[in-house]
Parts: sequence; structure tokens; C-alpha cells
Amino acid sequence: MRSLSIAAPTSPPKRRHLFLTPYLFILPAALLFIVFMLYPLVDAFRISLYDWKIVPGANSPFVGLDNYTRAFQDDVFWIALRNTVLYTVVTVPAQMILAMLVALALDAVPRGRVFFRVLYYLPVITSWVVVSLLFKYMFDSTEAGIINYFFMRIVPVLHEPVPWLREAGPALIAIMALGVWKGIGWSMVIFLAALQGIPHELHEAAMIDGANGWQRFWNVTIPLMRPTIVFVLVLLIIGGFNVFISVYLMTGGNPVHRTETMLTYMYNESFNFLEFGYGAALSYILAAIIFVISFIQLKVLRNPVEV
Amino acid sequence: MKTIQTIAALCALSLVVLVAAACAAPVTSPQPAVQTVVVQQTVPVPQTVVVSATAAPTTAAPVTITFWHGYNPVETKQLEEKIIPAFEAAHPNIKVQDQAVPYDDFHKKLLTAIAGGTAPDVARLDIIWIPEFADLGALAQLDTGMSDFNDLKGKVFAGPLATAAWQNKYYALPLDTNTRTWLWNKEVYDKAGISAPPKTFDELLADCAKIKSAENIPCFADGGTYGWAVMPWIWSSGGDITDPQLTKATGYVNGPDTVAAYTMLKDMLDKGYLDKGILGGGLDTSGGFAKNTIGSLLEGPWIPAIFAQQYPNVPVNWAPMPAGKGGSISVVGGEDIAVFQQSPNKDAAMEFVRYMLTPEAQLAMAEVGQMPVRTDVTDQAIKSQPYFQYFFDQIKTSRARLPHPNWPKIESILTDAGQVILRGEQDPQKALDDAAAKIDPLLK
Amino acid sequence: MPRSARIFSNTLLYTALALGALVMIIPFLYMLSTAFKGQVYVLEVPPSFLPEQPTVQNFIDAWQSNNFSRYFGNSLLVAVATTALSTLVSAMFAYAFARFNFIGKNLLFYAVLLTLMLPNLMLIIPEFILVKNLGLRNNLIGLVIVYLAFSIPLNTFLLRGFFEGLPRELEEAVLIDGGSYWTIFSRIVLPLSTPALATVAIFTFLFAWDEFTWALTAIDDPASRTLPVAIATFQGQHLTQWGLVFAASLIAIAPVILVFITLQRYFIKGLTQGAVRG
Repeated sequence: MRSLSIAAPTSPPKRRHLFLTPYLFILPAALLFIVFMLYPLVDAFRISLYDWKIVPGANSPFVGLDNYTRAFQDDVFWIALRNTVLYTVVTVPAQMILAMLVALALDAVPRGRVFFRVLYYLPVITSWVVVSLLFKYMFDSTEAGIINYFFMRIVPVLHEPVPWLREAGPALIAIMALGVWKGIGWSMVIFLAALQGIPHELHEAAMIDGANGWQRFWNVTIPLMRPTIVFVLVLLIIGGFNVFISVYLMTGGNPVHRTETMLTYMYNESFNFLEFGYGAALSYILAAIIFVISFIQLKVLRNPVEV
Repeated sequence: MKTIQTIAALCALSLVVLVAAACAAPVTSPQPAVQTVVVQQTVPVPQTVVVSATAAPTTAAPVTITFWHGYNPVETKQLEEKIIPAFEAAHPNIKVQDQAVPYDDFHKKLLTAIAGGTAPDVARLDIIWIPEFADLGALAQLDTGMSDFNDLKGKVFAGPLATAAWQNKYYALPLDTNTRTWLWNKEVYDKAGISAPPKTFDELLADCAKIKSAENIPCFADGGTYGWAVMPWIWSSGGDITDPQLTKATGYVNGPDTVAAYTMLKDMLDKGYLDKGILGGGLDTSGGFAKNTIGSLLEGPWIPAIFAQQYPNVPVNWAPMPAGKGGSISVVGGEDIAVFQQSPNKDAAMEFVRYMLTPEAQLAMAEVGQMPVRTDVTDQAIKSQPYFQYFFDQIKTSRARLPHPNWPKIESILTDAGQVILRGEQDPQKALDDAAAKIDPLLK
Repeated sequence: MPRSARIFSNTLLYTALALGALVMIIPFLYMLSTAFKGQVYVLEVPPSFLPEQPTVQNFIDAWQSNNFSRYFGNSLLVAVATTALSTLVSAMFAYAFARFNFIGKNLLFYAVLLTLMLPNLMLIIPEFILVKNLGLRNNLIGLVIVYLAFSIPLNTFLLRGFFEGLPRELEEAVLIDGGSYWTIFSRIVLPLSTPALATVAIFTFLFAWDEFTWALTAIDDPASRTLPVAIATFQGQHLTQWGLVFAASLIAIAPVILVFITLQRYFIKGLTQGAVRG
């Protein structure tokens, strides 16, 4: 991508035109963004510094960073944080690996790509509310639930039904299964496109050099897909930390808050307990964590020239 | 060029249609642009009662009031086709715009609306929200605002009425009610050799033993240890969460009767009398009941409609909740109707409240399964839905869950304690002692 | 690869893909079968995938229910408007980040990235108060504006990466000829970016079509209600007719599938290239 070096003619009118142009380009989006995204976000931060009362005109005492320190001393906060991190750490690699496998398979078969693409993408476009309900139903704790039934009768590895949503461990597994199931299609579609963008010549050259499939995968495919992989990784991690509806509908954070995640906790505190200041603080703590992680990822994993 | 033209064309078209849609839509929010600043706290505004003593409308200018509710599609239809037209006919200068809000998100939507100053004029609220909203200063006081309040007050059931009060002031009136009563599966009972449903806890435990040994199924099931589920057991055992003045929990939630209730439940769970679904993770218990895998449930008046459609061959038999040391006491559910403090049309809104409590309106909703709160229409309501009989009987002794703004937090503590007890992680006394310690500060 | 070996490996691959696809769609099969059943208030365990007496009544009831078609129309309008406007506006924004230098550029970009990471859920109340004060509450235009704002961060992030990867020669050629940046943008950059634009379009459409929480909060007037909210009202407090809910949800999925299939050839390529440049 060499750019031609040409001295741009510098007549004054053009300069002025050039000066204004960027601002004109950014104007609509920046305006919308600043007014309707940044301002409320900053306002939410302000709320986190108060014991905020919802009724307009009510007295909301300023509490400074109390809401934040309260979080760090709150047992449920740590459980929620742990669950959120666990969820992300498990579902993100799972989605990516499975998606890569499917993409590789689809790349290799001669026909039916579109058909399979649609099928694998269906979970992605269905609403979280509907699929959470369906999964709750599939993971019923008795032996009549589809999952238990399958693992007891069809592929018999269980003697007793697993109490899926009743115990924290199995419940987290069920929730993660939903997350992975719903996300595979998204990553798959991206990976498939990236795969199809790799020129055949490179593979052929590697084959001529005697490389087998596995070696070609690691030495040709993966390096060329690296930016794609990083991109997907960043977005999936953000999504993982933001898990909400599936947990809310499948267990509600129960039993005894053991499956609570950051957002279900924040939502509960804000809208059930009316602790809006505390809820806002929880959101900001979550945001800070995500920001730090994403920042590190982008700095470390991307090629310097692209940042 | 083609791309940009396409996008630009789409944008322009969208904007035009959007503007047209916005303009063509019927008058949206009826509230005038002027928003009154909400008066905080519960100090009653010294408004001298300027209320229509009779049904004669006081204002000549036409007014539109908004009514938010969580009625399901069938109930909404009844509201929109029968009740509202009748009201508008009797009050030609008041129009009612009703809005069905998805039930699960109703509470959140109300909070946001209050925060933004866009609360409706009148709404049908879950009874447990009244203390919370009243404490926020969001509701208008009805006992001072409606001149015929005492009259209306005398016409409704005591249990539901209690849910409309906070700190001895009334911020709502009951609208519809329900309770839980004993639904028993005759086939299951017959097979175990039981001829009639249990009347006392002792009989209950004996029956459970029989059902367990004859059929190896639980005789009772419930979905969790939240208030709706455990309160009947606590109260019927003679226990409670706090003292009647709601000042402290110690001595009550961890008192001997409450502990006895939880101990009994734990015992039942261990023996297999109580279905494990109470620990969570199970689906709707009515499915199990219909398939004869559960002996009895505590259910509400929506069951006959469901069973009639989905399980028409399963007989539905009701009986009073078995009585413990404290009697046969169940929990009151239902909704109240309240006027919002932010409303600029309080008088009109109160007219509507008044109308919703008339026999015609109450009976109209009874037709679609909403139990009326007026004591003088129960006979007619029973004619329309015979199974109401059992619920009206149970309601006589049913009580309301803790009428305190901090109920959500208190319930959360109680739910957790129940889970910990039933899972055998802590013994009942200790768990309830801990709960009492956490609940006490919330009652201040 | 010898023919027989290839057939073998293809068969293996297809089998694996088919099994995987089955896992992907089993919940849908259940949804579909329930939608064709009559009165289902309680989801039964064990489930039966084949309804005993299949009926299309649920679909008919869903469509004819109280203004469903109006809500469908509202959602369609909002989704299309948001998609078209967001694509344009984000593209301009992204192009500026890719090609220009201006005051506050880095700060603004980091702000965009930051909002990408924050849960929109925490914004609801401040946003509601703001929108109400601006008179943008309770109407579809206000809804579109907020959706635009919500969709700008991701779209900008994607498009910026893509634009950065475009060769500058073409653009510089236009400058030399005396053309404006707008000319470059509209005649060169956008046409070259149809893949990325299609990507952004489908993401935005999906978002606007399915968005529930904000639509529920901001809109009171039933005339402006959107589809996800309407479907939620089918769920009662004590009784929910699941056949009806699932039928309505299936009707709601149809447009998105259509948009996906239509745009997907662009969508695929575009995503890659946005991703490649990041």
C-alpha cells in the first residue's frame, strides 16, 4: 500500500476547505454520539456518586466513592465477578474453536455453504428472551428434560438426571452452553469469509513444499487470519462480560446468588432494590474491567502498524 | 455514485415516512407539556378536598387519562371493549387511554417513568409495590383525595385492603384479588387410599406418607422459597416475619413458630414429600400435577382456565389450605389501582378508580377470571366462575405480604434463608437468626 | 487427492456439519412444533416434537391480534430508517477517523471504543430523562435517533478498519483533479465498500429490529409500539399461551432471515475485510 507522494497544491481556499471538511464529516455522528451516548454515560457516572433517589426533586445525598467501596466489600459482587469472568473465559474460546472448525469444514465442502450458513446463523438472530426460555426448558432438572433424556437414554452416560438449573455448577454449564450455542454462528460466518479470502496459491505453495494439512493450518491459515481472530476475540470478550438475559431468565442469579453475573446483579440492585447509585457504580466497575482488558488485547495482539 | 444515492434515497424516504407516522398517530401522551414538580415524601399535600362528591363531572373541559396495566390479551379485550366504553359513556368529558405493559417489565417501566416525570394518571399495580411507590412519594393519597373513600373502603375485603395502605394512609384501592388454595389430585389421592384432602398439618404429613409409599411421588410441590411460596406455611404455623408494627424481625422470623414451619418443610423435602423443584430448576408444577406425578399444589384462580384448555381431562379439586397451629392462612395476591402524584388529572383519574370498583366493572372483569374485591358481588361472581367460591373462602383468612417499601430486599433475604435451610446447608434456627439480623436494619 | 478419498472426506464433513446444524436448530424445531399446537400454557416434559393436531391458528391469532401488523410496520420502519441513516452517518464518521486529522480525534475515538464496551443497560434512566426533556420520547423519530446513537460505535469501529485498508491512490487522484473529499467519499470509497456497508447494515437492522428494553421504556403510546414489546405483552402474569408467543416470534424472525439471506454475500466479504484491518 505505497502511497504516491505528491505535493498537494496549497491555494488558500482549498486549505480552508480542507480544514472544515473533517468536522463536517464527523458532525452528524459525533453530535448523536456525544448527546445521546456520552452525556448519559457521564450522567450515569454522576449518579454513581450519590445515593440516588428516583423521584425528581427528591433529596439524593452525595456519597462520593462509597458505592464503589461498598461493591468491593460485598460478597455477592465478588461472586458475580467470578461468574462473569468464568463465563467469558469458557465461552469465548469455545465459540471461537467450534466456529473455526465449522468454518474450515464449510470451506472444504463443495456445495451447500449458503444452506449451512443460514442454519448456523439462526441462533444468532433469534432473541435472547426466546432462546433463554427454550434452554431453560431443555435443561429441566428431571429426566424428562431433553438434555437429561439424551444423556440418559440415547448416549447413556448418566444414571440420574442432572439438576441443571438447581445447582450453581450445572446451572453455569447450562448458561454457558446457551452462550456458546448462540454465538457460534456469528464467529463462524466471519471466519468462513476470512478463510475464503486466503489465496489458494499460498496453500498450493505450502503443499508443494511438503506441508500437510495441520502444518498448513498453523503456518498459513492462522497467521493470515490473525487480524480477524483478534477482532472477533475483542468483541466476544466484550459480549461475554455483558451476559445478562440468559442468566436472568434461566436462574435469576439463583440459587442464593451463586449464578449471579455482573449485569444481573446491577439490574437487580437498580430496578428491584432501587439502589440506582450502587447499580451505576457496579456498571462502571464492569466497564473499567472490560476497558482495561480490551485495551491490553488491542495493544498486544494487533500489529503495531494497524493500531 | 449508485451506492450513495441508494443510501441517501433510503434515508430520505425513511425520514419522510417517520415524520408522517409521527404526525398521523393519534394524540400521544395526553399530559400537557407542563410538568408539575413532584412533591417528595409522604407529607400529604394540604389540598382541601375539591372532589366531586357524586358522579357529576366537575370539569367541563375534556380530559384524557392514561391507564397502565398488565392485563393479558383476553383481559385487555374485556377492558377495552366493555369497561372503558361504559365509563366513557357515563363520563363524556373523560377519555381513557389504556396501555398494556408486559407484566415482567412493568415495575421497571414505572420506575423509569417516575424518574422522567412521565408516569401515567392511574395504573393497576401489583399489591406488593404499593408501599414502595408510596414511600417514594409517587402515589396520590386516596383517603384524603376521595370524599367517598371510607364508603368504598367498607365494601372491599380486608386482606386486599390492607395492601393499599402505608403508614396508616391509603395510597390505592384494591382492584382484583387472588390467593392460593389447596389444589389436590383426586386420582393420586384415591390411589393412596385417601378419601378427602388434609385439614391439618398432621393429616397432611400422614397423607404424604401414604402417597409416598403407594406411588413414590411427592404430595406437594412449589417453585421456590420466595414470599408467595413460604408465607402460607409460616403464617399457618403461627409464625411471621415481623411484629405487627413492622419494627423488628428478631423474635419473629426466627421465632419458634417460623422455625417450626421451615423445619417441617425441610423434613418433607428429606422424606420425599416435597418435590425437589422447590430448590429451583424445575418448570411449571402444574404440568407435573396434570400428569399425576405431584399430589397437590397451592394454586390460584387462573388454573381452571389453563386446565380447561390444555388438560381438559384432569379434574380440578380445591380445598382450604391445611391448618397448622396458626390456622389455615394463605397469602393474598392481586392488584390495586392507584393514582400517581405526577398526574395533572387526578380528579378524572379518581373517577376512573371509582368506576373500576363499581359492581358492573368488577363483575365484567370477573367474567375473564379476575376475582372481584367487593364483598357484595361475590355471589354473582361465583355464578359466573364457580371455582371462585373456594378462593373467596380462603381469602377470608388470607394475609398480605409485608407491606414495607423494603420488601424486595427483605424477601431476597428470606428466599436465600429458605434455600440454605432446605439444602441442608444451615439448620433452620441459625439461618433464620442470621436473616433476622439482616432484616432488622431494613425495617427502620 | 484421489477421488474416493475426497468423497469419503466430504461425506465425513457433511455428516459432521449436519449433526452440528441439528444441534443448532433443535430449539427451533421445538419452537416450531409448539407454534403449531393449540393451547399450550405449560411446556411439557418430555417434549413432543410432532403436534398431534397441527393447527395454524396461533399464527393467525398472532397476526390478527390487536394491531400486530401495525407494530410489525413500526418495527420495520424504525429498523430500515436506523439502518440507512446509521450506515451513512457511521461511514462518514469512520472515514474521518481513517483519513483526516482533527482536534480531539484520538480522544473521540477512544470514547467511541469505550462506549462499545459499556452495557447500555446502565444508561436507561439518564437517557430517558434526556430524551424526555428533548421531546424525543414516545415517538418513532426519537426511537430512531437513540438507536442511531447506540449503533454508531460498533459500525464506526468496523468501517474505520475497512476504510484504512483502501488504497489511497484513487482518492489522491481525485484530489489532484480538484475534486472534494465528498466526491471521493461518495463516488470512490462507498462503492468500493459495499461489503463492509452490507455488514454494518445487517448488524444494525438486527439490532433495531430486536431491541426491546429501550423501546419498552421510551414508548408509551400503543400506536408507536414496536414488535418485540408487542410480543412480550402476549406473556401474561399467570398464564402465557406459548404457542402464540412462539408463533409471533417466528413471524418476527422472518424479516431478519430475509435480510440476512439477501445481504449475506456482501456481508461475508465485508466483515472479513473490516476485521482484517481491524
